Amino acid sequence: MGKSWLRDYIIKRLIYAVIIAWGIVTITFVLVRVGPSSPADKYLANMAASGQDVSQITTAIEARYGVDKPIFEQYADYMVNLFQWDWGWSFSTSMPVIDLIKTHWIYSFQLILLSSLFAAFLGILIGIYSAVKQYTKIDYTATFLSFIGISIPNFWLGVMLILLFSVKLGLFKAYYDTTLPLFSLENLKALVLPVITLGTGMLAGYVRYTRSAMLDNLRKGFVTTARAKGLPERTVIGKHAFRNAILPLFTIIMFDLGSIVFGGAYLTEIVFGIPGLGQISFNAIFADDYPVVVAVTLIGTFLILMINLITDVAYTYLDPRIRYD
Amino acid sequence: MRKTRVFTALSLILVMLSSGCTHAEVEQVGGIFVEGQSGGDAETLNWILAADAASFSYVGHTLDTLANYNNQLEIHLLCLAKDVEVSPDGLVYTITIRDDLKWSDGSQVTAEDYVYTLKNLMFSDWLNYPYKNSWQEDVDGDTVFVTPEVVDDTTFTITRQTVDPEFVYIIYDLIPYPKYITTKYEGDVEAFTQAPELNNLTYTGNLGPYKFAEWIRNDRYVVERNPEYYLGKDSGAPYFERYVIKLFGTSATIQAALEAGDITYCGIEPDKVSKFKSLESINVYTVPTASYTLVGYNHRANGWEGLKKTTIRQALSMSIDKQVITDKVYLGFAEPAFSFIPMTSPWYTDEGIAKYGVEVLYDKQKAIELFYQAGYGKKRADGTMEIIDKDDRLLKLILVTTTGGGLAEDIAFLIKQELSDVGIEVELKLVPWETLVRNYLMNKVPGTDQESRYNNGPEAVSDEPWDLVLMGFGTDVLAPSGSGIFFTTEGGLNFFGYFNTEIDKLFKRVRSKEALDKEVRQQIYAEISRILSEEQPVDFLVFRRSNVGFQKNVKGIEPGISMGYNYYLWYFE
Repeated sequence: MGKSWLRDYIIKRLIYAVIIAWGIVTITFVLVRVGPSSPADKYLANMAASGQDVSQITTAIEARYGVDKPIFEQYADYMVNLFQWDWGWSFSTSMPVIDLIKTHWIYSFQLILLSSLFAAFLGILIGIYSAVKQYTKIDYTATFLSFIGISIPNFWLGVMLILLFSVKLGLFKAYYDTTLPLFSLENLKALVLPVITLGTGMLAGYVRYTRSAMLDNLRKGFVTTARAKGLPERTVIGKHAFRNAILPLFTIIMFDLGSIVFGGAYLTEIVFGIPGLGQISFNAIFADDYPVVVAVTLIGTFLILMINLITDVAYTYLDPRIRYD
Repeated sequence: MRKTRVFTALSLILVMLSSGCTHAEVEQVGGIFVEGQSGGDAETLNWILAADAASFSYVGHTLDTLANYNNQLEIHLLCLAKDVEVSPDGLVYTITIRDDLKWSDGSQVTAEDYVYTLKNLMFSDWLNYPYKNSWQEDVDGDTVFVTPEVVDDTTFTITRQTVDPEFVYIIYDLIPYPKYITTKYEGDVEAFTQAPELNNLTYTGNLGPYKFAEWIRNDRYVVERNPEYYLGKDSGAPYFERYVIKLFGTSATIQAALEAGDITYCGIEPDKVSKFKSLESINVYTVPTASYTLVGYNHRANGWEGLKKTTIRQALSMSIDKQVITDKVYLGFAEPAFSFIPMTSPWYTDEGIAKYGVEVLYDKQKAIELFYQAGYGKKRADGTMEIIDKDDRLLKLILVTTTGGGLAEDIAFLIKQELSDVGIEVELKLVPWETLVRNYLMNKVPGTDQESRYNNGPEAVSDEPWDLVLMGFGTDVLAPSGSGIFFTTEGGLNFFGYFNTEIDKLFKRVRSKEALDKEVRQQIYAEISRILSEEQPVDFLVFRRSNVGFQKNVKGIEPGISMGYNYYLWYFE
């Protein structure tokens, strides 16, 4: 009962989420459908090469995929089907969109989850250590390496890791193997290089943010008071300084999670041949496969909205002074 | 029947001998062959709906065509019991298929399945097969389909009303749909498109060396050994337990995977060949291709006016060194091209061919003189000449090509440098493929509501002006007359607007009754090549060679222009 305002807030946010998701789906649908390209484009060169009537065949192919109807009718059909859990037929991959997503989401999910955990855990740890040991060799080294980590493009890092650990040392396979059981050590091993590739940039960022936030707090009066009380240094850092530094860090981590959900993982997927949703949606955009584009956008939007909601709710636990009355 | 069996046995023995395997006992079933690809994934396994090469390549593992050709360009029979018979008048083709072809339900694949596929699917209005034009002909101004007819269980005929000596190559590529399944979906394009049997290739029986196993989009396509394969009855082929096509996002990672031993085979870029050749575990083969790179000159109204003059085109082609492109860009894995017919084609001749861009016809000084003689040059006080446009200014040309292709960009910069040497400024436009197609290649008559096409007649122009376009084309080595689409007045891909009635007549003749005589056909091709090499509607730059790398334990490979024609005989040592 004590947090009934939070329940009301969550319900309100969920209602907003549905409205926003609907708005974004509508905008995406219209943008994809009013563009100059058509699913028939890929046939143009062949049709022209065989001397066929381009307009006639274009019309036929558009009819095959149902994109010849007025846009409002296409939209109405799409939304009705969507509510019946029929997400349409992907004409660039020749399978139902829902099956396509069911098959591929896990590859993106495991990569994003493990990369975020890797980056957050190590980044925060190194950042705290760097702040506590300010202006020591360790701090300088951490700062130097984190600048390198932030600057390295992850597609380049991925290729370098493959050349070193797969080609030269033979420790890992040069590509991600989808035949491995999901919950197995082999799968975890196969994800080591992709996770390092995707996580390094984030990790480096977290080192910098954590160091900065910790230094801010370590200079504040309550830390001096805690030390004056004779509390052990571990308690001062962990329970006092870090507790207060965690809020901006948490915001950044959740923001990063949202960014990689919406495309950040794509390049890593490409380099390691991971057939995740990033690759699927990228290819769908170029193939004018609007059922897939809209579906992936919808999922991405919903995930971002949920991440934001979780972040806001988590604030109230991390800092009990925050209320959303 | 006996004759068919003897023939089949003979052809199998010949195939085995030609594959170089002298010890049958070393060919054991086992292992997984992993082919690395960095191109896009296939779109569909329901092949009649496909517009992309990858779809046909995937399906080809499970469904054989009627025939293909070997490295010597001789016909290699697959589903055919004997070669296609052509009537003396060139109008009736008799096709005899093997009597041991089976669908997955055990029923025989018959001539009726082939004729049904042609008549009810490929020629239908409801399905709109994208390549149906290959099966049409012009009869008195009307476009009509050829006429397929069943003769008996294993024989059918296809009758044309006009002669086309190269039509037989279209027939060789035919693959059937099972009538017993497909009739369920006939007339309903949505049901046909989504039919599970057709999308999962559950019907393929013994028609291919492999059977469909799994397809994870954008990741891998897996087929497994088909022990019932009709060509493997005596030899036990195919020999790989599984054949996997693994997709990669970049050529760097695919080649790293080959080097690490994680895949069995992939293409290799020219600059990596020497490195892979030095590896003990890899065999690298260099094979000719029928793909060529060219610079197209814009003859249309929105191209520079001088490009309509043969002398100017010759002068431009004379300024670009094909040997440098061959040696420095392709690192020797190409050869200078002078027409659309590759040297590997039986129709190739270099008799009477003007070889612009090499030896004496690579001459920048001569090129400047030709510009001067054509009215696009002036003499300086010291007697030297410089190229100018008709307004007495430095000549500027726009060269457009696609972004992302490393070699294309290298060639574009090289051409810019070559033309700069003769005093022509080249503005490079590197654009995505879709932009190149829509804004530069497709055209329409200005001020009309015409649908944009690649060739909307002599008055049509593209949205964006251009002068030179750098791109790649392909030729069929056995049936090069298809290239008429680029060089004839009505040619569907003649986007550069080259119109020459003599060329039109020759391309018509090469597909006429007189061309049934191979000597006549050879003469016609020689004449087409001669005119094109002289007129330079485009500057044929190079024919490319392809490099492929295999793990050394793969045996049975016959390197050549048609290297995979009998890949079902490859095996692991």
